[in-house]
Amino acid sequence: MVVEFWGQEFKVNIVFGCIGAFLLAIVSSMFGFGGGPFMVPLMSVGLGLPMYLVVGSSLTAIFFNTLMGTMRHYQFGNFDLTFFLIMFPAAILGGYIAPKIAKKVSPLMVKRIASVGMIILALNLLGLY
Amino acid sequence: MITKRNIIIMLLFLLAIGSFYISSGDAQDPPAAPTQSTPATPAAPAAPSVSSAPSGPGAPTAPVEASGPSVTTPAAAPSVQPAPVAPAVPATPPPPPTVTLSVEKTSVNNGGQISVKGRGIPGKPVYIEVWSENKVKSSFFDSKPGKDGKSPYKLYLTYAMPASYKIYLPESQKSVVDSFKKKGKKWNFAEALKALDAEVAYSTPANIQIDVYQSTLMASVIGSRGAKLPALDAKENRKHSMQLVKSRFEKAGRLFVPSLDVKPDGSFSGVISIPEGGSPGKYEVVAVSGASVRSQPATVENHINFPMIYLSNAGTSLNALWPFVLTLAISIFGVLMGAGGGFILNPLLVSIWPLPHTIVAGTVMPTVLFSQASGIYNYSKIKFISWKLGITMGLAMLAGGFIGPKLTEMITLSQFKFVFGWILLVLAGLMFWQTTPGYVSKNKKEQAIMAEFKKRAEAAAKAK
Repeated sequence: MVVEFWGQEFKVNIVFGCIGAFLLAIVSSMFGFGGGPFMVPLMSVGLGLPMYLVVGSSLTAIFFNTLMGTMRHYQFGNFDLTFFLIMFPAAILGGYIAPKIAKKVSPLMVKRIASVGMIILALNLLGLY
Repeated sequence: MITKRNIIIMLLFLLAIGSFYISSGDAQDPPAAPTQSTPATPAAPAAPSVSSAPSGPGAPTAPVEASGPSVTTPAAAPSVQPAPVAPAVPATPPPPPTVTLSVEKTSVNNGGQISVKGRGIPGKPVYIEVWSENKVKSSFFDSKPGKDGKSPYKLYLTYAMPASYKIYLPESQKSVVDSFKKKGKKWNFAEALKALDAEVAYSTPANIQIDVYQSTLMASVIGSRGAKLPALDAKENRKHSMQLVKSRFEKAGRLFVPSLDVKPDGSFSGVISIPEGGSPGKYEVVAVSGASVRSQPATVENHINFPMIYLSNAGTSLNALWPFVLTLAISIFGVLMGAGGGFILNPLLVSIWPLPHTIVAGTVMPTVLFSQASGIYNYSKIKFISWKLGITMGLAMLAGGFIGPKLTEMITLSQFKFVFGWILLVLAGLMFWQTTPGYVSKNKKEQAIMAEFKKRAEAAAKAK
């Protein structure tokens, strides 16, 4: 498939992309996370697309997954309204606060801290410590 | 050539199919309003009706305890006990062996300890079964090969599992309970009941209505639970209810408490505790002794006050402040590192609180829906989205998102944590790779190009 974006044309191996997106969607909706951090590398590294094309398009793709996942989880009785009403305002508030802090912190540092934190959490989940 | 209009029409069509499927799917009770969390009348004597008959529509309404040599038959409908549990319930029927039970108080605030005492059958152990009136969903996927070597692939599902359930045992059973506690997650509820000689005590969840679905690969692919199988008979229902109990409560220590002091003459005393964070509302307490002779149920009411909130679908009450703070912190952090917070939030939620993973997955997902939508809106204003690429891959994700949520209820909490552990390791690797010098310098160029394009896009949008 050829994608045109701001005057440039990109050749995309859409079959590979769709299979990857499909599998990613199964896992992410099964475990209830968005999928952005996997979708962005899939499109930028896997499909070789530039960042400026990936940011908006990956968000669009993920939105479909979140929408369908939400409906299906609701259908299977996995949705707790009270719990949602606690977390939802917090998520919105976080979205407002974060950009204001963003300029003051180094993204490299945040990512390094995040990866260390995630390894600790992962080891805990795997029952290794 | 796929035009934008075609894509949108296709999309609407798919959504229409999806919504039809949903409306024709299993009737799903809307999440109950949190009104249950504020019981208006403490120890209301008005409606003690449902208490000991936790049956769904199909299940036999007669209490199981009526079977066996129960002499309590004259009082065989223990559910209709009119008084709000007088301390020291009088043994109504004339002949022995009867079991009596009295509770020290009939209400607690956000959990608490309650002394109980009573009289069982001399020389026999006494068990106390405690369960909450609030019900939750529980599911169990049976994929273990049976005797014939074939895997059954059946999904057992109930909406009537007590949100809290415990069996109190004589102190003498402590070593046996400990041995099951040591097994961690790899223990078997049926075996434990047998080893503890506590099968007589297990009765309430044995009668819950269980739906059984025959899962197939094909059904999973189209995102269905599979064909519904005929209802189980009483014996099978009891057997599979045990698997559901284990799937809900996970650890032996949460189900068995060896704390009763039983004297040879049959009198017993002990302390039962309703945990902090337990479900609010009524709890039924029944003492069992001998060959399933049951006492009249005593009712204890658990009250919770704000900021404790009962999550009716999760069956857990928690202080609303902490999930709020946690979500806030994680979502800020998520935005800063350029990844959604769901990765970190979900495993933390299931680790900190006794929440079912299905509820966590199903409730965290919609919280990002609106921020994603607003992000898309902002990008689309400056035409910074390739609709063709985004929607094509989105359709593939739509199909995946249709299948995934069904799989959530087929795995156990420990499998959920295990897979999440690996996902996080991979993600941590990805994150770290993004901080390596090679990536950073490449990224810098990309970011510069992106900023340039964005500027042009914004200018173009303004010029219009």
